[in-house]
Amino acid sequence: MSPAEFLGYVGLGLSVSLHIMLVTITLGLGVITAAWRYLAYSRGDTWYESAARRAFRVMVATELFSGVWGTIITVFLAGFFPGLTALATDVIFLPIAIAIASILIRIPSIGIFWYTWGRVSDRVHVLIGFIMAAAGFGVPLGFRYIFAETVYPYAAGMALQGQVEQARLAVFSNPVYPYLMLHTVFAALSVGGFMVASLFAIRGQEDARAVRTGALLGLVFLVLQAIAGAAYLFIALASYAPIIYDNVFGVLLGASATINLAPVFLLKMVVVLALLVFGYLTFVNSGKGAVPSYARYLAPLALLAVVLGEVMNDGGKYPYMVALGKEGLPTSLFFNAYMPIPMGAVYVILAFFITAIVIFTVAFYYAIFKKFVE
Amino acid sequence: MSIFEHMLDGQVQVYLPLSALGIYLHAVFISITFGFPVAIAMLLWKYHKSGEPLYLDAAKLMTSVLMVNFALGAVTGTLVEFGLVQIWPGTIFAIATSAFTPLTLELIAFIMEIVLLVLFYVTLGKIRPVVSIGALAAYAAFAYLSGVLIMAVNSWMQAPWGTGPVAKELYPFLPEYGPLAADVQKLVAVKALALVGAAQGVPVSTILQMPGISEKLGEVFSDPWVALTNPYAWPSALHNITAGVIIGLAIGAAGWAYRYWRTKDEKYLKIFKAVIPPLVILMLIQPTVFGHFMGEAVVEYNPTKFALMEGAAATYYNPIVALVAYGDPNKPIVGFDQFYKQCNQLGSTTVGDLLKQVGVDLNTVVQSLGLSGQLKLSQAASLLDVKLADVCKADLQKAEAKMELVHYAYYTKIAGGVVAFAAALVLLFSAWIRVPGLTPLAEKIMSIFGPRERALFVLTLIVLIGAALAAALGWAVREVGRKPWTVYGLLYPEEVVTPVPATPGFLAFAYLVILAVGIGGLVAMYIVATRRLLVRK
Repeated sequence: MSPAEFLGYVGLGLSVSLHIMLVTITLGLGVITAAWRYLAYSRGDTWYESAARRAFRVMVATELFSGVWGTIITVFLAGFFPGLTALATDVIFLPIAIAIASILIRIPSIGIFWYTWGRVSDRVHVLIGFIMAAAGFGVPLGFRYIFAETVYPYAAGMALQGQVEQARLAVFSNPVYPYLMLHTVFAALSVGGFMVASLFAIRGQEDARAVRTGALLGLVFLVLQAIAGAAYLFIALASYAPIIYDNVFGVLLGASATINLAPVFLLKMVVVLALLVFGYLTFVNSGKGAVPSYARYLAPLALLAVVLGEVMNDGGKYPYMVALGKEGLPTSLFFNAYMPIPMGAVYVILAFFITAIVIFTVAFYYAIFKKFVE
Repeated sequence: MSIFEHMLDGQVQVYLPLSALGIYLHAVFISITFGFPVAIAMLLWKYHKSGEPLYLDAAKLMTSVLMVNFALGAVTGTLVEFGLVQIWPGTIFAIATSAFTPLTLELIAFIMEIVLLVLFYVTLGKIRPVVSIGALAAYAAFAYLSGVLIMAVNSWMQAPWGTGPVAKELYPFLPEYGPLAADVQKLVAVKALALVGAAQGVPVSTILQMPGISEKLGEVFSDPWVALTNPYAWPSALHNITAGVIIGLAIGAAGWAYRYWRTKDEKYLKIFKAVIPPLVILMLIQPTVFGHFMGEAVVEYNPTKFALMEGAAATYYNPIVALVAYGDPNKPIVGFDQFYKQCNQLGSTTVGDLLKQVGVDLNTVVQSLGLSGQLKLSQAASLLDVKLADVCKADLQKAEAKMELVHYAYYTKIAGGVVAFAAALVLLFSAWIRVPGLTPLAEKIMSIFGPRERALFVLTLIVLIGAALAAALGWAVREVGRKPWTVYGLLYPEEVVTPVPATPGFLAFAYLVILAVGIGGLVAMYIVATRRLLVRK
């Protein structure tokens, strides 16, 4: 890999990891907001109403920043890896169209949900909430096909053999996709639960009922996520992308690796274990009316687990761009050689990204946690 | 199928209106993104100077609208961005070359825009107004930078800077586009492949997606900064961004004027007066000074577009237009008749001759790039015998077919601008500056529209409608005027369009979603904007 290729690879990896981490928050909180809004209506319990508002405000603050990273990914892909982007826009045209349509429904529905709160009938508002939550999942429903094709180029392979038209529909039959998508959905719901537990455990704003509910949701979906994750690793990756399987897990059993990600895998296992233990303790203690201080760290731990999972899934192909059995298609096959990459400009851009992350994190912590949730 | 027909013509006809709808929708929100920060800054400055909470509350209300608008701008921007790479995937080649630097730098602008806007929003009213103005100015600076960079990309498609004499070799009436920053042999090879591909229903994107194609073809462009050194880019950015600021400001001003008219409450007049100065100043400068710079760039780099704008099927004399365009009233307005004549300079040179001249052997290119599975050269043999003069004339005919549309759109745009300009002058002398002789005249004109409260609203609305009409039609002239090319003189839309067929169901769904987002977004902003303005005691 040339320095420019490596920079493109790392820049893309950074953007994808951040994007996935942030959208996981918004997807999970979207479902919880809609569900609580429904419970407020069906049970006439005002606690659900105010809890839904608090969860929703944090979701909104995260949504826009997460969207920015989606744009960054697109520009990085098209600029650094034009070949891969051109292939995706053709073979994965329909799934991408589904994702775009979902974005177009999701963001306005968030605005409509907020500005119609208390201004339309409860039933209509609940419906808007569920549209908002469902549209959110429409985005990974489409985009995860791109990830599936880079793990196992099922349709892309057909297209490269000349069966382009068949490939455009065959993309929906990628055998890796169901495992990956299931894992994504459970991860989002689990993060949503732990996010709620942490949010409502902030000092001075504790709410044991919400913390207990959040911890319960987080735990249930974490278990389901772990099952889906195991199936993804031991069935999908082992069968269709042995290079990733070996780099992540096989290397522990003595398999050769192109990059040793076993430490990342083991770290993720520790994080998941910690989440299970502290999630359970939070659930038990908050049931007694006490909010333990460690509940605040459930969300960061859950997000760390998400990032580690994404690093394994995407970085597990290193040094390849697309996995292909025990090897892959190198980045150079898709990399932009049409023009010398202005490295200075790219370093400046990466520096600005890091600055923006810092500013956003500070603003998010002080403004959102201290002001919005109050 | 001949060189003059493309199998993907139908795709272009179907997808072009969809793209245009997305871009116009984005433009609505972008105008507010550009204009509202100026109005909010004016209100905060007034608050800083007077301490009156009215100005702070008005600034907060406009900021809430700006926040909703920003989200909608981001959504429609995503739509336009994906529309570009999904529906016109051949443009990925431009994104990887001439557009690489502006688009990657635009990421800085975009991400800083969002963090600074959030920072401004959450601190507004909690910190000193001057500091808030600073945060807002920083946000606006990145928003304008984003506009400059996007306009640089669009401008490269209008005037492909760095391609030197390549377009002129095909169309002798075109100028050279800057010092050569491209490998002519490779650029011509890409163009030839695009031409052969389009005739066989194989667009550029199908070639781009072949693994390893970039490595095999190698460096086509040597200067990654070429889009930013394009002399077409700067007048374009200045002209279009200020147009957006004017429309955004006019929307805000019209809103406050409407409230003043309906309630007759003087507080709304105070707010209106605070936001009107930058609108009037820009309305006077933008069409005259910045518009002139833009016009000069069109005259120099887009001769067919200029001829379309002026309805010049045949060359004619018009001292006023010539003075404005060339600075010389005696120069003729060059029409299509001259362009056709210049096509004849190409003599009997064929496409094959041109390829030979630059050392491109199509067979070798196809073999070396591994494209023999995609492109059937046997079917393209006749292409090599086509005379360049015939290609030149066929393209001129396609351009000329749009003359009526471009000409009338251009002059309606001018009319819209003149009306807005005149209304701004009346506002200037009646609501802002008092000048003996002019103010009474302005007030006399205002009286035509009824009582002062109503007249202020009507005049602001005229500025808004005139400016919006000018901007919308101006953009249409810019985009339709460069046809039949997507990249002026180099690439056709048929060469960059997606090969994925558009089903009626897909199109209906796409239109429905885009329109729903547009209408829903505008309603959401209206709801936010019409919240009661609470003034603290």
